[in-house]
Amino acid sequence: MIHRIPIILRGTTIASLVTLILLPLVLPSASLATEVLIFAIAVLGCNLLLGYTGLLSFGQGIFFGLGAYTASLCLIRLGTGLLSSLGIAVIAGGVVAAAVGSLSIRRRGIYFVMLTLAFSQMAYFVASTSKDITGGENGLLDVPRPPLVFFGMQISSLATGSAFYAFVAVIFIVLYVALRRVIHSPFGSTLLAIRENEERALAVGYNTRYFKIMAFAMSGGITALAGALYAISLHFAPLSNIEFVMSEQIVLMTIIGGTGSLYGSLLGAGFMVVAGEALSAIWPRWMLLLGIILIAIVMFMRGGLWGGVEQVMNRFRSRKPQQGQAPPLEVPND
Amino acid sequence: MSIYLFQILNGVGLGMIYFLLSIGLTIIFGLLNFVNFAHGAFFLLGAYLCAQVHIMTGNFWLSLLLAPLAVGFLAWLVEKLLLHRTYHLPHMYQILVTLGLALIIQESSIIFWGPVGKNVPTPEVLQGAVTLGSFAYPWYRLFVIVLALVVALILWILLEKTKFGALIRAGSENTEMVSLLGVNIFKLFSVTFGLGAVLAGMAGVLVAPLRGAEPFMGTEALGIGFVVVVVGGMGSFVGALVGGILIGIVQSLASSLWPQGANIMIYGAMALVILLRPYGLFGRA
Repeated sequence: MIHRIPIILRGTTIASLVTLILLPLVLPSASLATEVLIFAIAVLGCNLLLGYTGLLSFGQGIFFGLGAYTASLCLIRLGTGLLSSLGIAVIAGGVVAAAVGSLSIRRRGIYFVMLTLAFSQMAYFVASTSKDITGGENGLLDVPRPPLVFFGMQISSLATGSAFYAFVAVIFIVLYVALRRVIHSPFGSTLLAIRENEERALAVGYNTRYFKIMAFAMSGGITALAGALYAISLHFAPLSNIEFVMSEQIVLMTIIGGTGSLYGSLLGAGFMVVAGEALSAIWPRWMLLLGIILIAIVMFMRGGLWGGVEQVMNRFRSRKPQQGQAPPLEVPND
Repeated sequence: MSIYLFQILNGVGLGMIYFLLSIGLTIIFGLLNFVNFAHGAFFLLGAYLCAQVHIMTGNFWLSLLLAPLAVGFLAWLVEKLLLHRTYHLPHMYQILVTLGLALIIQESSIIFWGPVGKNVPTPEVLQGAVTLGSFAYPWYRLFVIVLALVVALILWILLEKTKFGALIRAGSENTEMVSLLGVNIFKLFSVTFGLGAVLAGMAGVLVAPLRGAEPFMGTEALGIGFVVVVVGGMGSFVGALVGGILIGIVQSLASSLWPQGANIMIYGAMALVILLRPYGLFGRA
C-alpha cells in the first residue's frame, strides 16, 4: 500500500495546484473561490481528526468561531498586522483545541461525540452571551483587512478580491504540502494506527493520548486559521461561525469530499460552497439534497467524492485492488 | 414565593415534555446501541403535524392521536428501509445517516409549511387557568403534566411487566444472546425505533400549543434530548424522567434571569456527567 502512495501524491498535489489556478477562472467571483479555499482549509483540519485519527468531532465550529473572533478582535482593538493576527488566531485555536481534545478523548465512541457536542453548545452560548467581546447576535462588524506586510515590506494591499484569493491560495498550498508531510511522517502513521486499532497502538507502546491531543491541537489551529481568514474575507465575524450548524457543515464537507484524503477536502468544500451558491438562489431548500447525498455516501460510497474519482481512475488503469487489501475507498492515500 | 413555585411547576411541565422526547432516545440507545440524530426531527414533525391537523380540522385531540402514529410509522419505515442496513457499520456511520435524515425532514418541513413558524391555539376545553387562592396555573400545562405521567406509567408497565418489555431489556443487556434464543431481533429493533419516534412525536404535539411549530426547534430539541439522556444515564427510564424534570426546572427558573446562562449550565452539566460519571445519575455501569 505504502509504495503506491508517492505516485498518487504527486498527482494530487498537481491536481490541487491546477484546481487553485482554475477556481477563480471558472467560478463567477473571486470571493466565491476564496470561500471554497477557506472552507477547504477548515476541512483539512477536520480531516486530520476524522479521516486520519478516526475522531468524529462536532466541535470544529468552536475553533472556527474562535479563530474568527480572535483575529477580528486583534485587528479591530489591538491593530496588529495581518500575519500576526492570523498567527494569534492559530495559537488560540490550537490551545483551546488541545484543552477540548484532552477532555473529550477521555471517552470513546458515542460518548466522545457527545462531549464534543456539549463543548460546541457551551462555546456557542458563551459567545452569544458575552456581547462585549463577540458582539453577541450582531457579531463583530467592520473587521479591517490590512495589507500583507512581510518583514517591513508591503507585498500586496489585498484590496482586490483576486489579490486576497491569491493570498489564501498560497496559505492553502503551504498547508496542504505541510499536512501531506505530517501524514507521511511517523507521527501520521501513528495517527492511522490509532484510527485502525487504538488498543493495538497502545499495546505496541504508543502514548495514544498524546497523539490524539496533538491531532486535536493541529486540527484546531488549522480550523481557527480558516475562521480567521473567513472573518477577514467578509469583514465580519458573525455568531453563526460558532454555531453547531458550522460544526455540522464542516463534518459534512469532509464526509462528502472523502475522509482520509487531502484532495478530497478541496472537493468537499468546493462541492458544498459552489452547490450552496448555485442552488440557494433557485432552490433555497437545497440542504435537503445534502441530506440525501450524505445518506447515499454512507450507504454506497464511503470514500466520498474523491473515493469515487479514484474508483474511476483505477478502472481506467485496470489496476484493481488486490485481494485481501482494504478497498481503496477506506484507505487514506493522499 | 409564588412566582418561584409557578416557575418550578412550569419547569415540571416542560420537563415532562423533555421526558417524552428523551425516553425514546434513551431506549433506542439502550437496545440498538446508537445515537439517533434524527430524534429532534421526529419531534419537529410531531409539532408540524399537530399544526397541520389543526388547520384541516381544528381538532387538537385528533392530532394528539394521529400525529404521533404518523411519525412512528415513518420512523418504522425508515428503520426498515435504511437504518437496518447500517447496523454492521461503526457507530459513526449511524450518526451520519440519522444526521442526513434529520436534514431531510427539517428541509422538507420548510418546503411543506414554509420558513415561518405556525401557531397552534390551546384546545378550548383547556383554556384558562386553575386558581388556588392567589395562585393560578394554566389548565393546559396541568394537562401536559398529567398526560405525560399517564404515558410514563403505561411505558413503565410496558417495559417492566410485559414480554415485549422483557425483550427490550434483555436486548439492551445482550443483543446476540436474545437473537440466539430465537427472537427476531430486527423486528424488535424496528418496533422499538418506531415507539421511540411515537413518543418524540407526542412531545412535539404537546409542545405545539405552548410555543408553536418552527423549523429549527428540532435541532434545539435534539440538544436538550442529549443532555437529558446523558445526565439521567443512557438507557435508563428513571434517568430520563428525573433528568427531564431537572433540566426543565433549571431552564424554567433561569428563563427570566439569564436564559443563555441556563444553557451554558445544562451543557456544562452534560460534559461533566460524561467525564465524571459516564453512566449518568441512574444508569448502570
